[in-house]
Amino acid sequence: MKNRLFFFVLLIEVAGCCKPSETIYRPFGKIRMEFSHTVGGRPLLTDTLLYTTATGHPYMVADLQYFISDIRLYHDGGKTLQLTSDSGIHYIDGRIPGSMQWSLKDGIPPGKYDSLVFTFGINAAKNRSNRFPDPPERDMAWPDILGGGYHYMKMNLMYRSSAGSVLKPFMFHLGIGQVYSSTLPDPDSITAYVQNFFPVTLKTPVVITGGKVQGLQCIMQVDRWFDGIETFDFDNYPGGIMQYQEGMHRACVNGTGVFEGEVIR
Amino acid sequence: MERGFLKERSSGKTIYQAKRQEKMKKRADSIEQTPVAGYRVTTCEFLGRVRFDGIILLAVLSFYMVSCNKKPAQTNVFQTTPYKISVPRFFPGQLNIVADNPLTEEGITLGRYLFYDGRMSGRTFPDSLMSCSTCHDQAHSFECGMGGAMFPNGQTYGLTGILTPHFMMPMINLAWTNHGFLWNGKVSVENANPAMRTLEDVTWMAIVAPHEIHGDTARVAALFQTIPGYPALFMKAFGSGHVTVKNMGRAIAQFVRTLISADSRFDRYLQGEYQMSPSERNGYVLFMTEQGGDCFHCHGGDGNPLFTTNLFYNNGKDSIFTDPGDRSGITGRLNDIGAYKAPTLRNLVFRPPYMHDGRYKTLDEVLKFYNSELVWSPSISPLMHHIGTHGVKLVPGQLADLKAFLLTLTDSSFVSNPAFSKPDKFPDGK
Repeated sequence: MKNRLFFFVLLIEVAGCCKPSETIYRPFGKIRMEFSHTVGGRPLLTDTLLYTTATGHPYMVADLQYFISDIRLYHDGGKTLQLTSDSGIHYIDGRIPGSMQWSLKDGIPPGKYDSLVFTFGINAAKNRSNRFPDPPERDMAWPDILGGGYHYMKMNLMYRSSAGSVLKPFMFHLGIGQVYSSTLPDPDSITAYVQNFFPVTLKTPVVITGGKVQGLQCIMQVDRWFDGIETFDFDNYPGGIMQYQEGMHRACVNGTGVFEGEVIR
Repeated sequence: MERGFLKERSSGKTIYQAKRQEKMKKRADSIEQTPVAGYRVTTCEFLGRVRFDGIILLAVLSFYMVSCNKKPAQTNVFQTTPYKISVPRFFPGQLNIVADNPLTEEGITLGRYLFYDGRMSGRTFPDSLMSCSTCHDQAHSFECGMGGAMFPNGQTYGLTGILTPHFMMPMINLAWTNHGFLWNGKVSVENANPAMRTLEDVTWMAIVAPHEIHGDTARVAALFQTIPGYPALFMKAFGSGHVTVKNMGRAIAQFVRTLISADSRFDRYLQGEYQMSPSERNGYVLFMTEQGGDCFHCHGGDGNPLFTTNLFYNNGKDSIFTDPGDRSGITGRLNDIGAYKAPTLRNLVFRPPYMHDGRYKTLDEVLKFYNSELVWSPSISPLMHHIGTHGVKLVPGQLADLKAFLLTLTDSSFVSNPAFSKPDKFPDGK
């Protein structure tokens, strides 16, 4: 009995000596994203008429709610790492402090990553109706007749159309667009739907260290939705754009340049 | 045996101690003598076992001594029967049930009695009775409705005649209410007063409110303590026959959370069991489109069969505001002036008048308001984007379709469900 035990222990020792490199423990790192909203480089102040679009309309933001999803990290060696925490979808609501942070559960191999890419909104495969039965995500539902799924973003605004006029509401809402055969957006004349989600690249090099959580600030520059590649004029739409694909497209073109990343040190 | 006794007597130990020590010695010897896979008990282990056995003995003795002093009644174990809400399809999974008040059959039974028992006023004269059901009438989907003898125009008042500041809110599917209860969301987890945060708290608030029972919580509890049958029901529900207003609130909240409406034609449409008429279907499309009626942004619909977001909006009824009980009275935000919670649209047909001040007596009046009577104010909700044209400007046929759709939210089984109705008799047989 004693002899057998001795040989068994010896065998384990010998086997252990043969694989020294595989016994080294290399912990993964993690990423915590923090979201903030700015106008002209300063923190967004809601419910206050402080800002003006390039087309000259003073405006204020009342609510800002949106989804981002499908985060990918690009390694300087050319590899891509897809992060899948929380089904890869995160809801951000300016009025819900807890939503302004996203601690991704994925372990990330240590190393330097050139950039982070995410989908603004939710991609077609994941953007299914009734996916979120509970609030607050539930209240982002996009009508089935207009394409279904969820709003990518709800930005509720008030703006002044012309000097001296009262503030007008504007619902800067993005989601699945529609193509109408009629001149007016009559739902009975919808001939096709348009997926308006788009990728956003944060060209911010991030170094992930094993066992540590790296913070990354994701800054939405709200004013750039209206003053980017395209100029967005509130007066061109009747208080909202969710049934005006041309308006949503214009917004989405600007949207690719709305975000900036910043490593939190 | 005898030898052991004599021997131990000489050392001053009792017979029991002597026998016990002998037994332990034998046991220790057997351990020492038994070879188990090369394991051998050391002296320390042996002493440890002897000490351990002694501790167990003391523990057993203590347990018996304590048990002998207990009264038989205290050995009864308080047990309740859990009640699980069956979440209707597409309804939210998150229920607003506080951790210290899980639903039980016993709690709901008690809550139903209390909900309907007019002695909740703390008084017993027939002209001084008031309970939840005095205003929350099942026939009107738990509002007071219009045309009744007590509240003919739908305006409620308290036991002493003081008018309630607001008209009634629907008492439907409150198990899913978030963002607070009442028109302004005053009763919420954000309330600085910890006694005004949950549905449970609404009971004591109603008892003391001048515009409701205008009573005294101690008097109410004392009265129910004397009513035969109630202490036993409190014992069953909460493990104590001592009647407290806190437990009254817990029981009533449990009952109210069971008031679920999910059996309308629209619900059956969602299940694939009902085909909407063309008019209802058109109305549904108008309800769900921004350039149609645009009802869904505040009232849900697709993805939200509660037909409310439970959020607060100034929907354009007025340009001058004098009500201190609006949402801004809670938040202090200027943009919440004139804002109230969007109520569910379920069972509209049973519960006129409409709005927080009951200004609209019919559904047609409500539709007319949203169609062409909106009024701008600085705190108008940004979701009221048709304000520039004073409304959504639907043509009469579209309005009729929209109304037809709204009526698909009628759940007649809710207003006739015997589980929600007044008990035949109260616990004391009255």
